[in-house]
Amino acid sequence: MNNAVMILLIAPFVGAAVAYILGKFKQPLAFWTAEIVGAILFIASIVLFVKHSGTVISFDIPWIHYGNFTLPFGIYIDHLSIIMLLIATGLGFADIHFAHDYMGEDPDQPRYYAKVLFFIGGMILLVITKDLIGAFVGWEFMGLASYALIGFWYHKKSAADAGMQAFLYTRFGDIFILAAIALLYAFAHTVNLVELNHLADAGKINKTVALVAALFIFMGAIGKSGQFPLYPWLMNAMEGPTTVSALIHGATMVNSGIYIVARMFDFFHYTDALFIVANVAALSAFIGSTSALVQKEIKKILAYSTMSHLSIAFVGLGVGSLAAGMLHLVNHAIFKALLFLSAGAVIYIAHHTKDAWKLGGLIKTAPLVALFMAMGSLSLAGVPPFSGFFSKEMVLSAAWEWGNGFTAIFVTIAALLSIAYITRLWVLIFLGEPRNEDIAGSVHKPSNLWIRLPLGILAFVTLFIAIWQSNIVHYIVGKEVVEPEIEGLTAFMLTGMLILFLIVVGLYLKGLNLLYKIASHNFVQTIHQILFNGYYVETMISWISKHIFVNAIAASARWFDTYIIDFIVNGTVPFTQGVHNVFKSGHSGRIGSYMGQMVLGVAIIVIAILIIVKGL
Amino acid sequence: MVAIDIIFAPIFLSILVYFLTKGAEHITKYIALGWFLVLFFISLSWLHQLPAHGFLQLGTYLQVPAFNFDLTLQVDALSVAMLLLTSLLLILVVFTSWNEKNQASYFSLLILFSGPIFGVFMTTNVLWFFMFWELTLVPMLFLIGMWGAERRIYAAIKFFLYTHVFAMFMFVGFFLLYKQTGYWDITQIKEAALTTPALIWWLMFAGFAAKLPLFPFHTWLPDAHVQAPSSISVLLAGVLLKMGAYGLIRFTVELLPATTREFALWMVVFGLLTTFFAGMLAIYEKHIKKMVAYSSISHMGLVVVAIATMTYDGLSASLYEMIGHALIISPLFLIAGWLHHKTHTWYMNEMGGIMKYAPYASAIFILAGMAALGLPGTMGFVGELTIIISAVKSFGWWIAVIALGGFISAGYIIWSVRRAIHGEPSEIVLNSTFEMSAAEKFALAVFAFLIVYFGIVPQPIFDVANKAFSSFFGGM
Repeated sequence: MNNAVMILLIAPFVGAAVAYILGKFKQPLAFWTAEIVGAILFIASIVLFVKHSGTVISFDIPWIHYGNFTLPFGIYIDHLSIIMLLIATGLGFADIHFAHDYMGEDPDQPRYYAKVLFFIGGMILLVITKDLIGAFVGWEFMGLASYALIGFWYHKKSAADAGMQAFLYTRFGDIFILAAIALLYAFAHTVNLVELNHLADAGKINKTVALVAALFIFMGAIGKSGQFPLYPWLMNAMEGPTTVSALIHGATMVNSGIYIVARMFDFFHYTDALFIVANVAALSAFIGSTSALVQKEIKKILAYSTMSHLSIAFVGLGVGSLAAGMLHLVNHAIFKALLFLSAGAVIYIAHHTKDAWKLGGLIKTAPLVALFMAMGSLSLAGVPPFSGFFSKEMVLSAAWEWGNGFTAIFVTIAALLSIAYITRLWVLIFLGEPRNEDIAGSVHKPSNLWIRLPLGILAFVTLFIAIWQSNIVHYIVGKEVVEPEIEGLTAFMLTGMLILFLIVVGLYLKGLNLLYKIASHNFVQTIHQILFNGYYVETMISWISKHIFVNAIAASARWFDTYIIDFIVNGTVPFTQGVHNVFKSGHSGRIGSYMGQMVLGVAIIVIAILIIVKGL
Repeated sequence: MVAIDIIFAPIFLSILVYFLTKGAEHITKYIALGWFLVLFFISLSWLHQLPAHGFLQLGTYLQVPAFNFDLTLQVDALSVAMLLLTSLLLILVVFTSWNEKNQASYFSLLILFSGPIFGVFMTTNVLWFFMFWELTLVPMLFLIGMWGAERRIYAAIKFFLYTHVFAMFMFVGFFLLYKQTGYWDITQIKEAALTTPALIWWLMFAGFAAKLPLFPFHTWLPDAHVQAPSSISVLLAGVLLKMGAYGLIRFTVELLPATTREFALWMVVFGLLTTFFAGMLAIYEKHIKKMVAYSSISHMGLVVVAIATMTYDGLSASLYEMIGHALIISPLFLIAGWLHHKTHTWYMNEMGGIMKYAPYASAIFILAGMAALGLPGTMGFVGELTIIISAVKSFGWWIAVIALGGFISAGYIIWSVRRAIHGEPSEIVLNSTFEMSAAEKFALAVFAFLIVYFGIVPQPIFDVANKAFSSFFGGM
């Protein structure tokens, strides 16, 4: 077995245990252990990238023999895996580094770093595994880690609720993957992702089974990657530390859904499930981008933008362009990690103020952070020459080429709107006058090594990765991809973005009074409420789970248990007492009565014996 | 030591222990521990002596030529797996009851319990099986009735009568087996010789179903568990419930395969109903120990579905899940009982924020809870995965609906954690002290270790499980 693979597989989990134990002796040791392990993981990924870019690493370890079955556990590392590894470990390392200051005052650091390493370990496991079972293991590890990290401040009610919500929403998707594993195992006799693709290519797999399995797997992806309708957890996940948000939204968890669809791309393609993928994703992109327009908290704006951008990547896959989808995933992971860490820096220097409306004018205190965040924002908005421009362009042209109007229009709107919400956020934080004197007075400068350095590196990568866009595509897909040319798309997008940019800057910088006037209108208020609450999907799901699931189904089960079953069980007591009351008159104490009963009894027994002997 | 001593020695040992330790009660637990260790190692040695297929003969005792109810003792991999599980749980229960009051009587009852429970898994004679089955109830009745919580007498009697009444159905079934074939020993009974196999099957099934328990025969279990001291809950869930599953495999699947195949769908229906019904009850439950009890019932439903597949892999999976269930549900019961002991409340909504005050217990509760909802890396996942694969293979795509059980269990586990362990501490929690004895900590650590170890390396258990059913499936 390859040493680098071995390290990637084991080091995060061992590291988590070591970080926790050492941290219990001396707090800072937890950070340093995590930092070192993070670096080792990143180096191991780079080693794989350098040494094994030409060859595929693939081996199988039989995991469970039971009955006539063998459940496999295999490792499969190709270019797609290596790209995902670089993202997960590279951004994970940056995230750990950043946490030195951000989590520096927290008394529970050992727990924090142990969970973070465990999280990264889950992602690594997901992307290097060969079988759906192994993928499910990594998938669930991340679910557990996100539960633990979002609810890191478990004593806060909101954080504990958010953790619970994240776990249950993603778990709901996950059980479909479990079902898909069983279906594929029973009907296709394999859960090997590579073989499934081959089977699909050769058309050797029942189409209905494949469609159902593909949709079930996509259901899991919906949960993990925050698509409609299982996205509300992604917004509430902002209750966790910002470094955790960066980890979930940039480096690891939310990418897993896209990864699994990309990994099984041929399989999905074969089943026509991609049609549903594209449409669900287009709808989610629209929901995410419109809701992001009106949020107040810095992190919620970013969270909705994550949802929207993941959907754009999904649309790329859904319309049949693996290259476009994966490229957008890669770009998004990097600039989103940058944006979250910048937001973390802002929140950190402003003493954990998350409401963007309370900030303002921070460019004077933290010009570098403002610059780095601007670079991330431009990339997210899709402004050339930043990386986001290229991948978005690719997805959009693929979507228009594909020919489904709904998908193309919705995803275009979503892509356009991204400049509006991100500009709004940046203007609110950095420009204008400070809106809250208390916060403005106490803002302190960020440190160079722990905050500016990782931001700078990420900003640098965001800028320069634009140069290698076609190389990345080539690396992932293995061949040149000819981008379809859609007449006028680029011009349309750029014009639209410029107009939106000017409107937003004008409104939020100079025209706040006008903005308030517009906002006070009733109709606008209604729209605002709908968008602010994420189209009330969370309210709806909560209502269903509370009133249908718990108060109707579970309560009636309880009622049945108490008043029907136990009534019968406890009813046996009065019943036997009743029998006793009927017959106790027989216990009169008179010999004659007893004699009579005895004769009766003997007669019954004799008759019974006769019936049994003759009858049976 | 001959095999029969293992069953009958506890009677004398417990009497000796009870009378000889007057004034030095604390040594009884060491005697009990020693005896259970002996049982564990004997079981282990049998595991190594097992032939490749079939039974390891341990001798035939108490022969009376006029009747043929000889006490035939023989074990196969299935019985040995149950014996190992039983003795392991007994050992750990000694640690968790380290500071129990009235130690002399408590531990002598535990020792007394070890006799018939070993007998149940060691004999192949249905008459003796029935006797041991009933005899396990007696020490249990006293253990629940004397060391239990407020309504212990009601619970103990309900438990006793419930299982006893249904055992009578089973007994009639056994009697008909004898009447129609002339043998008490299952190795000699042939299914083809039976004239009313369906009637016998349902009679026996009723007995096992109440023990498992299957919906709608389950209502004894929450009461018994809630009122029993938590160490006894461990034995109830870990061992007594497994008697039902063991009986189902041994006396329906293996003894009457053709009839079982006929009624397999009924078993699936009962299993699914149990899983979902108990799961929904657990979601609705505020009472922490009842929640765990319903969770336990819910998982036994899965075991029945796996047994109903009647395939080599399905039965292997069911045995794995039986062992997994015992190891997962035990720490949950122990911590639930411990929390009640410390906070004097049963209700999760009155707790909250326990993580901060009892991190060790909370961490193990969360770990075991994660195992109960089937998180990878724990035994719960392997059990659920293997069962769902076998079931879909045997019954078709629709049975994939049991995956939903994994979501329901996530619902009640996560919500319980949210209410009891996370969140802001309540008044009750703030006014309680949470300390845990080293012996309890040790036992919990062993459970946690086993859950994770066999979740990552499940093959040792599957080796035994495969061996248990390889002879039944003709050494496939």
